Amino acid sequence: MANARPGLLRRIVRHRADYLYVAPALLVMLLVIAYPIYDTIYLSFFNTPPNLALEDKIFIGLGNYQRILGMDSFHEATWNTFVWTVFSTLFAFVLGFGAALALNREFVGRGLMRGILLIPYVISAVAASYIWRWLYHSDFGVIGAISVAIGLTENPINFLDSTDFVMASLIVVNVWKEFPFAMIMMLAGLQTVPDQLLRAAQVDGAGPWHRFWHITVPHLKGVTLVTVLLLLVANLNSFTIPWIMTGGGPAGASEIWITHIYQLAFGRIRFGLASAYSVILFIVMMGMGYFYVRALTKGDAK
Amino acid sequence: MHPNHALPVNRRSLLAGVASLAIAGAARAQGSKTGVDAATWTPEYITSIAGTAEYDTAAECAKVVPLDYRGRLTYWYWGPNQASPQIEHEIDAQFWAAFAKTYPNIQVSKLSLDYNTMLDKLRAASLGKAAPMVARLPILWGSEFAAKGMLMPFGPADVGFGDDEFWPGALKSVTWKGKKYGVPTNNETMALIWNADLFKQAGLDPEKPPATWDELVAYSKQIKDRTGKNGYGMVARVNAGNTPFRFMPQLWAYGGGALDEAEDNPTYKTIKINSPGAKAALQASVDMYIRDKSVPVSALTNTQTENQDPFIAGQLAMMISHPSEYAAMLDRAKKATGDDRKIADAVVANMRYGLIPKGSARRAVVFGGSNAHVFNADIVEGGLDVKAARAFVAFMTGPEWSTKMAWVSSNPGNIRGFRSKWMKERLDTIKFLNITTSMLPNGIPFPVLPQSAEIMNIIVPNMLQNALTKKMTVDAAADAAAKQIKDLLADL
Repeated sequence: MANARPGLLRRIVRHRADYLYVAPALLVMLLVIAYPIYDTIYLSFFNTPPNLALEDKIFIGLGNYQRILGMDSFHEATWNTFVWTVFSTLFAFVLGFGAALALNREFVGRGLMRGILLIPYVISAVAASYIWRWLYHSDFGVIGAISVAIGLTENPINFLDSTDFVMASLIVVNVWKEFPFAMIMMLAGLQTVPDQLLRAAQVDGAGPWHRFWHITVPHLKGVTLVTVLLLLVANLNSFTIPWIMTGGGPAGASEIWITHIYQLAFGRIRFGLASAYSVILFIVMMGMGYFYVRALTKGDAK
Repeated sequence: MHPNHALPVNRRSLLAGVASLAIAGAARAQGSKTGVDAATWTPEYITSIAGTAEYDTAAECAKVVPLDYRGRLTYWYWGPNQASPQIEHEIDAQFWAAFAKTYPNIQVSKLSLDYNTMLDKLRAASLGKAAPMVARLPILWGSEFAAKGMLMPFGPADVGFGDDEFWPGALKSVTWKGKKYGVPTNNETMALIWNADLFKQAGLDPEKPPATWDELVAYSKQIKDRTGKNGYGMVARVNAGNTPFRFMPQLWAYGGGALDEAEDNPTYKTIKINSPGAKAALQASVDMYIRDKSVPVSALTNTQTENQDPFIAGQLAMMISHPSEYAAMLDRAKKATGDDRKIADAVVANMRYGLIPKGSARRAVVFGGSNAHVFNADIVEGGLDVKAARAFVAFMTGPEWSTKMAWVSSNPGNIRGFRSKWMKERLDTIKFLNITTSMLPNGIPFPVLPQSAEIMNIIVPNMLQNALTKKMTVDAAADAAAKQIKDLLADL
């Protein structure tokens, strides 16, 4: 077995200097990532009622997981999370891609337009949430006032205090906030599409649509996958906008996993239950992380 | 006499709620060093005793901790914010200057937090062993920290005061399993505020507020129908203290309760959130929001702060709030310009205060306020300086500063404060103060349980939202809330 790979320990010893260089970073990661994950998983097996100190927690095995899966609010929050994540990702990507295509062409004021479109991305999520909350306000919001003034509606539109419209209203804010991210990613991807290929296709008589569909899109497959995965992960973890704008309300209509977890941990002081919930979210995220890494490392083995 | 000023405290009302216990307790204190006879608690009596006693704060503090004591203190509190009247900011600054003068060698590191985020931050800090030495917490929060063993046993005796210097209802809120874990700083009750001009426009008697909650519902509808303006400033946001402070008086008035906290001797074991009285209160809210559409649509996301703008703009007729609301409105009027200024000035001139309406069972208001607590040394960041903490709490809860710190929004936690010259000055300068103060005998404290914050800030507002959004019927919303409270208590 002359070609057999050396064992892990032998490889570490052989490259000990390399490992020594990355050791501090690994140590920090262990402290700030691995330990909290371990502690969350550990805590998820305990009942932590609000009248007990954390040291007095009661071991209940998988009780928290059973309880979460049986909660009506979990099923409601799961559906809301699905709607929130899928639609936020879809619209942010489509809008971002559209903006990237527009900005990829030469036109007067392109730099200015690029700067303007980036504004939502650089505004603080907290500030943006408060601004949108006032724009949407059901009694004296600007959008409602305009819709009444131009005769579009008889009364101001009830964006945030309606169980029917609240989720769509929040998704609009989220898409507005994160489409520039998709735009930047796709713009970077567009700039890697070989110009000579596009010109050759043009010479061969391919129209704009055919050039886009058969040359541009295949070249963007990798960056599209990465962008969509990053948007999905960001939206699953998105907390600021829904929490500040509605706190998960009204009547739980905009409650998503992450706000529900926060509410359980800090509103209801159920750290055990919230930890179990977080572990479920963590598993879902790990699944996505797997596909993300696969997308990033595709072709590395060749 | 103004109809709302007349509040003869009869025997029946004295025995009606926990506030009556407070009066009975304070009455026993008659002849003690407080010199306050709370058995005759009327606006006239409150005015008559104000300014009849002199206090020397530094001398009182010196008996607890020498004034030259050298130490350090970390302190978190719910301080004045953008919605607070200017005078609260000024008094806050005066307080810190006076403490620095009294105890020049105690270094203070203070943190003023927002009410709606302070509890979460304090919980996280306590778990991370980064709690402050002293925190001034709303009456609802202390029992959770006491139950978890995070607070140091600490009561009035530790700062040189007798129990008879505080309302028994307030002392109850700092007591957990027979031990005291805090000293009351201030106690408050709210009142009903209305815009007399909007009442007049709606064809109502501008000087006569609704006497009952049923009347309030009818007034709200009449105002909306005749003027197009919102009648009552309902608040139903989840995770906001403003919601239970406005809804629980209504719930108690109809004979309901979260538990049996409105009874003479509450056990906190009987669930009353789905009682007929509680359902009647919930139905009244549903009638205003869904049937009559006479309250702001944004009630589900509003806190009381969001009621201030429409009120000063003459777009809202009634709301429940502190005496400080008058000062807040004066401030807002001063900042307005042009036509807005004229409207705001007119609203301030037409602002009236009255008692919160009665229900079929009682007149009720939340017995609110704050307490000063000292955290256990093992969870305090940088260690606990007990002497500095004692000096600070003695200074803060004495008759002078418990009166001054409660200048526009509350009442002194230390009953002796009612006899001070500062109380007299308050009564002379703050309009309607005697009305809110006279609501104290109708005050009902929230249940003294570690789960109280969850019940009041989450379960009760969720019940309201479930009914107001038609997600559930009134019966189903109340029953769902009852089940949540039952599960919560069973979790112990």
